[in-house]
Amino acid sequence: MKVVAMVMAGGAGTRLTVLSEKRAKPSVPFAGKYRIIDFTLSNCVNSNIYNIAVLTQYRPHSLNEHIGIGKPWDLDRAAGGVRLLQPYQVGGGTQVWYRGTADAVLQNFDYVREMRADRVLVLGGDHIYKMDYAKMLRFHEDNRADMTVAVMEVPIEETDRFGIMSVDDEMRISAFHEKPKERDKGNLASMGIYIFNTDVLEQRLLASSEEHPELDFGKHVIPEMIRDYRTFAYRFDGYWVDVGTVDSYWQTSMELLDPDSPLNLYDKSWPVWTRSQERPPVKLGPQARVHNSLLSNGCVIRGQVERSVLSPGVYVSPGAVVRESVVMNDAWIGPGAVLNRVVVDKEVVVGSGALLGFGGDFDVANKLGPDKLWAGITIVGKGAHIPPNVRIGRNVLINAAVEEEAFAAFDGFVPSGETV
Amino acid sequence: MRVMAMIMAGGPSPALSVLTAERAEPSIPFGGKYRIIDFSLSNLVNSGIFNVAVLTQYKPRSLNDHIGNGKPWDLDRAIGGVRLLQPYVSGEGESGAWQRGTADAVRFNLDYVAEQSVDTVLLLAGDHIYKMDYRPLLRFHESTGSDCTIAVRSVSPHETYRFGMVGADSSGRVTRFEEKPRRTLSRMASMGIYVFKGQALVDWLTGPGAGDVDFGRHVVPGMLKASQSIYAYSYEGYWMDAGTVQAYWEANMALLAETPALDMYDPDWVIHTRSEQLAPAFTGPEAIVEGSLLCDGCRVFGRVARSIIGPGAVVEEGAEINDSIIMNSAVIGAGARVERSIIDKRAVVGEGSVVGWGDDNTPNRAMPNHLNTGLTLLGKRAQVPAGVKVGRNVIVRPRVSASAYPPGDVASGETL
Repeated sequence: MKVVAMVMAGGAGTRLTVLSEKRAKPSVPFAGKYRIIDFTLSNCVNSNIYNIAVLTQYRPHSLNEHIGIGKPWDLDRAAGGVRLLQPYQVGGGTQVWYRGTADAVLQNFDYVREMRADRVLVLGGDHIYKMDYAKMLRFHEDNRADMTVAVMEVPIEETDRFGIMSVDDEMRISAFHEKPKERDKGNLASMGIYIFNTDVLEQRLLASSEEHPELDFGKHVIPEMIRDYRTFAYRFDGYWVDVGTVDSYWQTSMELLDPDSPLNLYDKSWPVWTRSQERPPVKLGPQARVHNSLLSNGCVIRGQVERSVLSPGVYVSPGAVVRESVVMNDAWIGPGAVLNRVVVDKEVVVGSGALLGFGGDFDVANKLGPDKLWAGITIVGKGAHIPPNVRIGRNVLINAAVEEEAFAAFDGFVPSGETV
Repeated sequence: MRVMAMIMAGGPSPALSVLTAERAEPSIPFGGKYRIIDFSLSNLVNSGIFNVAVLTQYKPRSLNDHIGNGKPWDLDRAIGGVRLLQPYVSGEGESGAWQRGTADAVRFNLDYVAEQSVDTVLLLAGDHIYKMDYRPLLRFHESTGSDCTIAVRSVSPHETYRFGMVGADSSGRVTRFEEKPRRTLSRMASMGIYVFKGQALVDWLTGPGAGDVDFGRHVVPGMLKASQSIYAYSYEGYWMDAGTVQAYWEANMALLAETPALDMYDPDWVIHTRSEQLAPAFTGPEAIVEGSLLCDGCRVFGRVARSIIGPGAVVEEGAEINDSIIMNSAVIGAGARVERSIIDKRAVVGEGSVVGWGDDNTPNRAMPNHLNTGLTLLGKRAQVPAGVKVGRNVIVRPRVSASAYPPGDVASGETL
């Protein structure tokens, strides 16, 4: 049996707002030194799967640079290894974007054939979890299945957010309900992880693509497969999160600070690999006070850090306070600045004395994106410059590369819910 | 000018006690995640020199693992790159193939030098900690057209006995060289960094200097006597020979200063090393850390002050660490206390025990000249049983297990 993994990394992840504005969601930094896709790639190599295609479309530069030739995951191999598959032109200069997840796989089916794979493992590139795919593959083989879908139990009142699988006693799937309103369909939610037998998958994709050019696994392929083939659900009961929103991104980051966090990054038997930058150790100055935080190499801390996650190279000046925040690579926090429940993207400069996440009006949602920023988290885009002594409220969105002049209109105070 | 570098990494360093019990000095961890040789290797690649030979002899395994194919320094190259050169036997039944000194080691590998089609050889020590751009030195060497150039720095008169002392005229030409003199008029000390014209080096080591063993003691004085031209190049940047336990500890502690003399955070002069793949450093809800370096993968749940916590090390709840160096994956048990100590890799300090206890500063009985400043050393994989107090200037040899301890506490100056 030969397996290839196809990792879907082309989506825009718009609900993460500025975090995924200049990069695809799988390449958003997470847990300090990692990127979201590291968890999926590490799962693959830890499960002994070394043939991996990463399908990109939306803003792939950051992802291309991160994955490179795949060295950190031992994926720089003579046979197999990692391939980045971009949308391409077909004859006559016709441009064909990936129109859906299944369409992306179909457009790259040559790759699957070239790898002589008889099983295709389809994965999302934007989930945080540790999973041994080898066990799921064994389950697939034991059941002589044509398709296996990984499922997990979700609270019954949340079933309307997921694709729900109804199964019989042997875990054979009897029906699929996309975001059902009724509560009687069971609580096994699809995790977007599928194993297909290659021949069956190719047949199905070819057969359906005429009718649905925007071919999608969840919408088209899975329901049709359940009707006509042996399809099983594989129950997964480990840790799995979708950090698709700013709130869940922040929440999941904070959960890492629990010493008994379900996502153990220090487990030697299941290492999470990433492309590390060459940086010196974290330096804590004599005035530094650090409390329950995750600090990546190259950080210099001379102020206070409490319950926060810091990426490599963050500089916290004397007198600055970083509290319940996520600060990404090479951000500079000026003297006396205070960050409270803020997500700060790379290379941001926070001027001295600036207060971010100021005031108690957590529930004033962002005016331009009330569905995206409503939980009290203020977010600062990559490379933005926050002027000294400015006060910034809750649910504020500061766009990437904003210069200090942009704050002039606010006269030193950006109220909650604003966008700069 | 085509340059290759040879790094001397083969000598034993008995003054470093258990730190070199299982490894050569260049491969001792420094500043948490680095090894001492990283500084020489990084200086080379940052100076654009990508042809490097590392000469090993004493306990090279740790060094071999660390350097590997040279990837972290971009020294895994099709042309040049890094080579590890070991002592070898050149004929059946031949004995005495061990290298007796630096010059001897280079002589053994002259055929390798000849193969490299280089005209200039840069000789370095692998056990110095410094940041130096070798390019100005090489330019100076080329401009004088000399056979050999020695990098020198000024030292205090009290320290002359540790160095080769160099006297030079106003043009920089060396007129006098004394090896480790007690008194001398010269103020310039050799840094153990030499640039040789390739042919001059080959000619000397196979000709007049065929019996020379050491560069400082034999080659340089010999060449001077033979009136070959040697110049001194003066260098005033940070340079440190961490050849004793005290000097090693001080050099580490100096990194904790607010603006250390050795800046490791300079993006224009990155110190490269082989990093372990580890998660970020974690500080627990009860942890208090100040004035310290924390490496990737370490987890701190107790108190740490003025210390270096290496990759993957764990400081459990209620443990307290002051003025100490904790190396990779060592574990400091709950409630334990560590004062002014060096805890080597994977050592384990049991719950509630104290390392570096009391103010009895009796020098170590086995090596009073080298261990007398109150530092206690715990060798690689050594253990301290729970609840035991270990005094100062104590040496616990590598792999000493908790069951091997005599009953009661361990007094200052003991060796286990």
